[in-house]
Order: sequence, then structure tokens, then C-alpha cells
Amino acid sequence: MSDLLYKELRLAAHPNLFIFTAMGVLVIVPAYPYGMVFLFGCIALFITFMYGRETNDLYFTSLLPIKKIDVVKAKFFLVVLAQMTQILISLPFAILRVYVLPGGNPAGIEANVAYYGFGLIIYVVFNFIFLTEFFKSGYKAGKAFLLGIIPAGLLAVIMEVIVHVPPFQWLDSVEPYMMLRQLPVLLCGTLLYAIGMYAAFKISAQRFERVDL
Amino acid sequence: MNMLEVKGLTKRYPKFSLKHISFALRKGRIMGLIGKNGAGKSTTLKSILHLVSPDAGRVEMFGRDFTKHEQACKQELGVVLGGIDFYHQKKLSDITAVTKRFYENWDDNAYQRYLEAFSLDPNKRVKELSAGMKVKYMIVLALSHNARLLIFDEPTSGLDPVSRDELLGLFRQLVRDGERSILFSTHITSDLEKCADDITYIKDGKLLKSAEKSAFIRSFAHLKEPGETGDLTLEEIMVRTERRRYDV
Repeated sequence: MSDLLYKELRLAAHPNLFIFTAMGVLVIVPAYPYGMVFLFGCIALFITFMYGRETNDLYFTSLLPIKKIDVVKAKFFLVVLAQMTQILISLPFAILRVYVLPGGNPAGIEANVAYYGFGLIIYVVFNFIFLTEFFKSGYKAGKAFLLGIIPAGLLAVIMEVIVHVPPFQWLDSVEPYMMLRQLPVLLCGTLLYAIGMYAAFKISAQRFERVDL
Repeated sequence: MNMLEVKGLTKRYPKFSLKHISFALRKGRIMGLIGKNGAGKSTTLKSILHLVSPDAGRVEMFGRDFTKHEQACKQELGVVLGGIDFYHQKKLSDITAVTKRFYENWDDNAYQRYLEAFSLDPNKRVKELSAGMKVKYMIVLALSHNARLLIFDEPTSGLDPVSRDELLGLFRQLVRDGERSILFSTHITSDLEKCADDITYIKDGKLLKSAEKSAFIRSFAHLKEPGETGDLTLEEIMVRTERRRYDV
């Protein structure tokens, strides 16, 4: 695993992936639709996959002494690493903003427990569609991105809007007891992310096995 | 001992089919895979390497089934795909740093020696290399992990005559000790006159002949025109076999 990931980070990842992953810090911006953070995470993957196509990354990887399934595995490692790093980077800033910006985020959802739950769902919806579609051909990254980013974008809009609807305002709180109430959203997001990524890997690996490079 | 044995390799595309390709490459020998553009040379090589999934057929490498022992076989295999550049923005040292992690038999001293021998600067980026230097770098990677079988797809296409001659000389040197074998595809028949031991000829997806060079040439004696006495050249064989007349 470490060799595959090393290869992804040193050769396959476009520099933009590192920049957009660092966009987790955007949760410190006083008024901003924080759903964009996750969408940046999705766009970064698209750029890296396009870059991979341009640099013949899949050919190079396929010729290494590994199995074809490992080519897919390497990409999944990279996706999960980038997205989890983005969340990790954002966490200290999400905590910090409670103290330095007590007025909250007027633009949309707060960077709270529910936000991260929704974020994981946005990620996995995009990942599932993007990755399974991409590995059908090994090169059609544009179509895969469009198919994935539309539902992921809609989910981000729903997340930003729903907290302005009175019955769901508890999802916008950063009060500790309210965030405890939001925990099921995070659990649900985590579970969906894990199951979704596992299923996406199985389907992608199966599809890529049939791809003629 | 056969380094590579291809048995009944078949791949069907909607408008092209590779049909029952079979041949064997022995240890210490260079085999040229010839055919005109679109004949199926690259598809054959890609099917051997599992980059393309064949519909039928078997590939044995170093006496082992390639599909079952793909990882182990690839440890002893070096591949150069013509016309495909990897990571053109990256430095050679970056690509090497990644590649060496995957090979059990990676030899750093050998790598340094080959870099020097080929005058390759590891701090250069792939895009800064000439076509010949790119092929040489891929050969350096293959030799540094002690590849016993080298598969090259059109390695000499796009090279100037001097680089081509140099590369062909290098091919001969590589098999000199009898431990390595080379399979390379080309449509430049003069390359084969210079360095191939065996020739495999593919026409329209079908194997026309696979044999030792002189036997191969003799088997096409029927193509000689009245009055011709000497052996046909490979170019004459190919041109006379493929020649078509257009009524326009």
C-alpha cells in the first residue's frame, strides 16, 4: 500500500490536489458557504485524474510488477487520503472559529458535527459516480466528473439551504448539546462513506479489468 | 529454454481481430515483430502484457503462466511502449525513486552505471529528453531491476539513423551473455536485418510466419521475380506480401 500511495503522491497527483486539499482552512472565513470545501475536494480529484491521463499514469502503473486491481487500489488510496486530510486540516479551524467568530456563519451551515456528516455524504456520492464511471474506460474523466459533481453540488446546496428552514435550524448550531444531537448525521456520513467507497472499489476494479489500455 | 511463449492469442475488436497468434522466443535471442501499420503488432504486445484483455490464448513467460504469475513475471520484465511518454514534467530521479520501490532486484549501482554509460542526467525532466534518450532511460530502468525479457513496441520509430544504429547495437550487447531476450516490434525492416535472430510477421491480425531469420527469408522464396537469384530482403518480402494496387 505504501509503495502505491508513494507513487500516487510523487508522480500522479497534480500540484492542485495539494492546494485544494488545503482548502479545508476555508471554514475560518467569516461568511462563506462551507459546502464549497468538499466540492473543492471533488474538483481536485478531477484535475488529478485528467493530469494522470495526460501523463499516461495508468500505463506506467499497469506495467509495474503489480496486478491490474492494484492500479485501481492506488487511486482509491489517493482519494481517501486527500479527502480525510482535507477534513483533518479543516478541524482546528472549525474549533477556532467558535471562539474567534462567535457570530456564526450567515452564509450557510456552520462548521459543526452535522457539516462533516453531510460532507462525507457529498464526497461519497461524488466518488462513487466519478470513480465507477472513470474506470469504465480509464480515460473519460470529463464525463465522469460531470455525472458526479451535479448530485454532489445539489447535496451541498441542500445542506446550505436546509439550515435556514426553521425545523432544521438545530443542524446549524455549534452549541455542545446541539452538536451531540447532530452526531447521527456524522455517523450516517461515516457509514455511507465506508460502504460507498468499498462498493465503488469493487465495481471500479471489475470494470477496469475489462478495459483495454 | 523459452523466455516467452504465446499460444493462440486472440483479441476481437468491432473492426479488427487478432487471430490465434502463436510464437516462442528463446533465451538469448532477439525477435523482431513485423507488420505494416495497423497489422496488430501493438495489440499483440499489449495482449501479452495484459494491458489488453485477450479473448482467448495463453502467455507463458519464463515457463510460468503470465495471468497466474503476473507480479512475479513482471519483476523480470522490462517494457518500452513506443510513443507513450510517462510523466513528462517529472525529473528522471522522481520516476526512478518510485520505480525502484516496486522491484525486489533493484540494483542502485547498476542504475548509476547505466545512467553514466548513456549520458543521462537524472535531474532532467522527461520532456527535455530526445526520443532516443527516452527509450534509453526506459532501458536503464529495465536493466536496473535485472529484467531478463525486454519487450519494446516500436523503439526505433522516430529516431535518427545514428540513434537507431546505436540502439540496435545496444540490443545486440544486451543479449550477448545469453541471459536476456528481446522482443521488439517495428516496421523498419532494416532494423531487423541488423539485429534480429528471429522474425515474426503479422498481417491483418494473423500470424504469417515466425521463424529464425534465414529460414524466414527462405520461406518467402516464392515471392522472387523471374531472374532474381539472391535472397530477398525483409523489405522486399514485406512490400511484395502487402502490395496493393489502387484503381483510382
